[in-house]
Amino acid sequence: MTGSGVNGSGVTGPAASERRGVRVTVVGAGIVGVRAARELLGAGPDGRPTTAGVTLVSRRPDRLEELARTSTNEVTFLSAETGEPDLDADVVLVARESSAQVAVAERALRSGAHVVCTGDDPDDVRALLGLDAVARAVGRTIVVGAAMSPGLTCLLARHGAALFDVVEEIHVARQGAGGPGCARQRRRALRGTGTEWRDGEFVRRAGFSGRELCWFPDPIGGRDAYLADLAEPELLAAAFPGLRRASSRLAATRRDRFLVPFPMLIGPPVEGAPGAVRVELRGRRDGRRVDVVYGVLDRPSVAAAATAAVVSLHLGGGGALPAGAMGLASVDDPLPLLRELARRGVRAATFEGASGGAADPPGSAPSAGNLSEGVQDRG
Amino acid sequence: MRALRRAVVAVVLGALFGVALRLRGGTQPPTEVGGWRELRGDELR
Repeated sequence: MTGSGVNGSGVTGPAASERRGVRVTVVGAGIVGVRAARELLGAGPDGRPTTAGVTLVSRRPDRLEELARTSTNEVTFLSAETGEPDLDADVVLVARESSAQVAVAERALRSGAHVVCTGDDPDDVRALLGLDAVARAVGRTIVVGAAMSPGLTCLLARHGAALFDVVEEIHVARQGAGGPGCARQRRRALRGTGTEWRDGEFVRRAGFSGRELCWFPDPIGGRDAYLADLAEPELLAAAFPGLRRASSRLAATRRDRFLVPFPMLIGPPVEGAPGAVRVELRGRRDGRRVDVVYGVLDRPSVAAAATAAVVSLHLGGGGALPAGAMGLASVDDPLPLLRELARRGVRAATFEGASGGAADPPGSAPSAGNLSEGVQDRG
Repeated sequence: MRALRRAVVAVVLGALFGVALRLRGGTQPPTEVGGWRELRGDELR
């Protein structure tokens, strides 16, 4: 992105009006917001532009100035320093910190736009799902939790469910964090109370309990993961009515366990290291018990931004999502979204084998080296 | 003073025990059998 300047109220780039397609406003110019804007400006599968320009809204004028110096004139920058600007768009992608998303989402819905939210705090996700009535009243869709986890994990859960006659359990685990906001949210989640869905009710468990060794795509491998205050159980339980168990865990180290109760004295890094998610589905097919595991290895901010952007383009392009509030696990057909994510480099993998006990036998299935290469290429 | 000495001895013993476990590989996680394969083709159709 290079080029158009910023003034107090913003500047529209001349090329924006020349592009045809969806008008998308990205609210929040953090690492996810900016990457999502970049994804939105990319070409579609046919090589043509997918948006009629992207508007980026931020409350930080210094950040906008910095971005304007390196951006194309396809991006319009709007400052929200002194008040929220009008959200004139087909789709509004909300990439602010989780707690600030509900107000923006409601305003965007009332302005007549579809809304895609990236927030992952369970309380905020619940509040966003509470906008269902507003969304239905205006005939628009609000997609809640459209990031890496939740988001990509929910899409994989829906995709995997097609392999079962009955899905009984879904267990999600995540390693890593995106930008600083995501790292702070991860810490809050580890401090909070974990929630599991068990036999028709939510069971509260202490944070940092329920340790489980989870295997992520290479090179991350096996990590201890713990229950934390995460949104997936609620989104999955809503999307799979017959589900017996749903849980979500965060991979953490002993150092995390020691430091989590204390205030964060050293700021989180601007860009997190490569992370991963893992989705395990258990259920029945043809009368037999079946277990399917999917995983994704990527920088969490990249995967989150790509997921949010692809969902935004899907909504703006008339994708078949009903009016109302929904998580991505409630999407009827996740394949177009997963295909587009794969085209953009966010590639899912499936685990073939069994975890535990023995060493790798000779000739065991190859690891997903191509996945890690993909992450490094896009670093 | 005696309590302090006991505390120091306890810490030293604990550290020695930890080092012994570490060297023995007692904290080594089990390995996984199998591997990850990228979803492609028919699986995304």
